[in-house]
Amino acid sequence: MKKDKNVELEANTTEERKPTLSEILKAEEAELKAQKKAEKAKRKAKYAYDINGNIIPDLDVKHVKGIESKKSWYGFYFILPWLIGLVLFFLIPLISSLTYAFSDVTPEPGYMDTTWVGLENYRYIFDSSDTYQKALLGSIGDFVLQLPIIVIISLILALILNSNFKGRTFFRGVFFVPVIVAAGVIMGLLTQSYGENGPIIQLSSTVAADAYSTVGTGGGLDVTELLTSLELPADITEQLSSLITDIFNTIWSCGIPVVLFIAGLQTIPAQLYEASKVEGATTWEEFWYITLPSIGQTLLLVIIFTLIELLTKSDNEVINLAYAQITNVEYGLSSAMLWLFFAIIGVITGLIILIFSKTCLKRWE
Amino acid sequence: MTTEKKLKRTVPALNKYKLKSVGANIVVSIFRYVLLIAISYIILYPLFAMIGYSFMSKADMLDTSVTWIAKRGTFENYKVAWEALEYPTSLLNTITIHLVSAVLEIFSCAVAAYGFARFKFKCRGLLFGIVLFTAIVPVQILVIPLFLNYQYFGFGYIVNLLNMIPGVEIPYISLTDTPFTFWLPSLFGAGLRSGLFIFIYRQFFIGLPKELEEASWIDGCNPLMTFFRVVIPSSGVVFLTVSIFSIIWHWNEYYQSVIFFNETLPLSVVLSGVRSLKLENMGYREQFAAPGVSASCLLFMAPILIMYLFLQKKFIQSIDRVGIVG
Repeated sequence: MKKDKNVELEANTTEERKPTLSEILKAEEAELKAQKKAEKAKRKAKYAYDINGNIIPDLDVKHVKGIESKKSWYGFYFILPWLIGLVLFFLIPLISSLTYAFSDVTPEPGYMDTTWVGLENYRYIFDSSDTYQKALLGSIGDFVLQLPIIVIISLILALILNSNFKGRTFFRGVFFVPVIVAAGVIMGLLTQSYGENGPIIQLSSTVAADAYSTVGTGGGLDVTELLTSLELPADITEQLSSLITDIFNTIWSCGIPVVLFIAGLQTIPAQLYEASKVEGATTWEEFWYITLPSIGQTLLLVIIFTLIELLTKSDNEVINLAYAQITNVEYGLSSAMLWLFFAIIGVITGLIILIFSKTCLKRWE
Repeated sequence: MTTEKKLKRTVPALNKYKLKSVGANIVVSIFRYVLLIAISYIILYPLFAMIGYSFMSKADMLDTSVTWIAKRGTFENYKVAWEALEYPTSLLNTITIHLVSAVLEIFSCAVAAYGFARFKFKCRGLLFGIVLFTAIVPVQILVIPLFLNYQYFGFGYIVNLLNMIPGVEIPYISLTDTPFTFWLPSLFGAGLRSGLFIFIYRQFFIGLPKELEEASWIDGCNPLMTFFRVVIPSSGVVFLTVSIFSIIWHWNEYYQSVIFFNETLPLSVVLSGVRSLKLENMGYREQFAAPGVSASCLLFMAPILIMYLFLQKKFIQSIDRVGIVG
């Protein structure tokens, strides 16, 4: 009864009252929708087909919109293989490796038998001996020291190589040689064969010094010999020769950063420099106000890249320790060692990138 | 009259300025050359030293007067190194494993990067962030689970899941010692430093003019056809850059190969053990190790070094034009 009354009431009011604005809009919307539906149906019916049975697209605006929405699906198709690879060869291994770090691991066919032990692996690593601790501290120290040095030196070299002079191509070619030659294997071998005080200098200094005293082979540049002939105290000689070793190693790590920087410098439009010259800017000002801000992104890329290179260097002690654990089938320990190292490095990197993008990149853009 | 006077006054000044700047230029360029030559020396020294050592006979090693060029030069070291490396077999292994993998990677990364560069889809930003993340995570951390995955390969963990059902037991296939350990990740854009390559490709594709692709769309190509017929032919530069990097890094790959391969060893793994396992038994001990090791290293590098020498000029030009920057 009540319902009927209500319906009646409503019917009465709609008949008497003028339709409100919202109602008009609603009606219009509905009409539009109906129109669209009709058009869609029409379009579907109107499609022409070519000989192969493909739809011949007409240049109707709405039709192009259809392609646009299709386009997003195409984008998905393009990255689909990568997505599969990401899950199978990156995410799953990454997560399992993280669980190994906190577990007691025994390999079984097809899976790892893991039992959660918490921080037991780490307790073992740190309690059993201090080799890992030393390697960790040493690696991180090297890393923090070398990263800025490499970035700055390679930037300077790239600036020099980017200016116009004769033999530019030749020198650029030379700077890429370390990328080829400095393969981990070769460096490792040279270290083995020529001593233990750094692979490059080895060829020139210690091996030569050793050779002079025992066998009598010469090298070209003989640093140790030179230093000992100066009759400095042994400590200073040692410091100096390790410093020179570092210089050699550093320059050898500059190969790809230099290449990346050159690529970045090439993208700076020449008009900027012309304009600044007209305004009377000095080279120094040009560098700070044009060059550096323009290659902010490259700088970030180089930092990240150098980081990976430093991490995966063949003479990284932490990685070598962890690999030794792999051969002992101590997968849990090995994972734990690697994860702690990379986590610390990750935090440092994150901080560098954060500070860099918050202060420099923001101001430059 | 006045203009002449002005000219007279300014011209000497100009000359003076010119002279000054010429002098400064000479100093700068001398400094530049000295620095560059010094650094080139540091870079090339080990290479030359290796070449020098590789020709030295034992008598030369004992001779004090021999520094660079062997007096009693010999090819013996190369012969020994050739045998110690088992060069033909290892080279073939490296080519089938690493070179093929590099080629696969070059294409798979380009496809993924094109997706990121040209199309809008959900979570694009997030996914590209993950690309960069994969570039940063070192492969050493993944090596154990990956090894397990290949040792007991279950077709992307499908078999592993099925085996969890009680009563079901499907045997696994072992992919270790087969090139698939490198082919599969490369095929799916998760190979050696793929993240970096996807990044480089994407930056380049974004810079390509859209009009070409739009034209091919209007002419009825679908995006995949457009990619192969329009985009790839016009991006030779970036392909060259990525190819060189990918091939070199694959050639030098060691950390994964040493875990995944036990019998079909690629060159890099053989080389790493050449001194302790092979050369010492062949009479290259202690102070005589350098010639043998140098020859082995040179044999290892020779193919890519030759490739680089041929492509060097093009490569350096291409790097200028790729513009790896954001």
